[in-house]
Amino acid sequence: MQNALRNKYIKYGLIVLISIALILFTQSIKLMKNPDSAPVTWMTIAGLLSLWAFSMIGIFISEKLNSSSVKVLREFPVLGWVSITSLVMCLLSDFFVDAIRAVDFLSITTPILTFAGISVANRLVDLKNTSWKIAVVAIFVFSGTYIGSTMVAELGLYISGK
Amino acid sequence: MKKNNFIYLIIFALLVVTISEMIGFQSISIGGVSIGLLPLVFAILITMILGLNILRKGFWKKVYSKENIEFAGKYLILIMLPLMARYGADVAPKIVDILEIGGIFLVQELGNLGTVIFGLPIAILLGLRREAIGATLGIGREGELAYISEKYTLDSKEGRGVLSLYIIGTLFGTIFFSIFAPILLNFGFRVEALAMASGVGSGSMMSASSASLVAQVPEMKSTILAYAATSQLLTSFLGTFTMVFLAAPLQQFLYRIFTRGDQHAKRAA
Repeated sequence: MQNALRNKYIKYGLIVLISIALILFTQSIKLMKNPDSAPVTWMTIAGLLSLWAFSMIGIFISEKLNSSSVKVLREFPVLGWVSITSLVMCLLSDFFVDAIRAVDFLSITTPILTFAGISVANRLVDLKNTSWKIAVVAIFVFSGTYIGSTMVAELGLYISGK
Repeated sequence: MKKNNFIYLIIFALLVVTISEMIGFQSISIGGVSIGLLPLVFAILITMILGLNILRKGFWKKVYSKENIEFAGKYLILIMLPLMARYGADVAPKIVDILEIGGIFLVQELGNLGTVIFGLPIAILLGLRREAIGATLGIGREGELAYISEKYTLDSKEGRGVLSLYIIGTLFGTIFFSIFAPILLNFGFRVEALAMASGVGSGSMMSASSASLVAQVPEMKSTILAYAATSQLLTSFLGTFTMVFLAAPLQQFLYRIFTRGDQHAKRAA
């Protein structure tokens, strides 16, 4: 049992490692295409390692809380724990902020969407069973939540004079 | 996991990233509205098109092997973690600023009711009934999926509605938001408000919309990323409550009004 648990974290650790390696690769390609974009420095490497470490801490918290008796804590997504971990660490030390900001934001997104695209490969056939009506509704649903929040936020900013 | 095919997956990912980054940021203009297409949009388009079943022969079959697709699906969330960690560094320097307007962040969560307000009338107009309940409760992510399947089961019409939305969102959500956010910016909404609205409850959709806002207003980058990440975090915390205590009752109320005198609708209401 103890062995299996260790393996699980090793596996997660390796996958997150692949992720940060892909980010480094993307940032290098971006730099090749546009020499003015964010350079790859030792700070970038430190930033990537920080991202890896915070991700692992987040995974650990999430796994531990899986057996918690509080429903909200049990169901809070691992993505959220990772953001919170990182936020706390960044508030504690500016070094993390500087290091992580040496990692280009858009270089993080490209490899993720690559995997997202691959992961839905088998879902495309499901579209056949979806009526065009729901597709139209989907457009309004997605627009609706975004426009709704934007208008409330806009109003809030206006009222508070920001 | 077959190690051989896994290597193909990694090589393929590197190739897609290279091609997408080489295409780079492209601005296209539709009817006077300029839309910026980021490399991430090309990445998802390339991988989706090449993943079509008809193309999956020979070499592609090795790239899009059953194991590789499963790997991408099962561990996508782990691959996303560094992105979520990155947001910590964006929020931290702005934390005082954010706490100062914390009320606005809280109130804009109510905007997520827009799924019901905008979506339900259209769904009813199109002739959908119980499917509309599943399809308009929220943006059809895991939270709504769990709620609907618990209340109606996924085999019901409501269940089919939420599942369809889940599939459409998974396939096209990021592309949609990366185009929609700049359009609203063109309409004159403030970029701060749009950034706050980006936390719709899906990490990849939030990233797509905030990234495309950054591409349009690069000088506001740190504010945009900080606001988007904060509202995403809030939605993760409060999303379930908004859905159960606000969206669902509002939906039932409006559904009854819209379908008054309609025989098919009786059971759902």
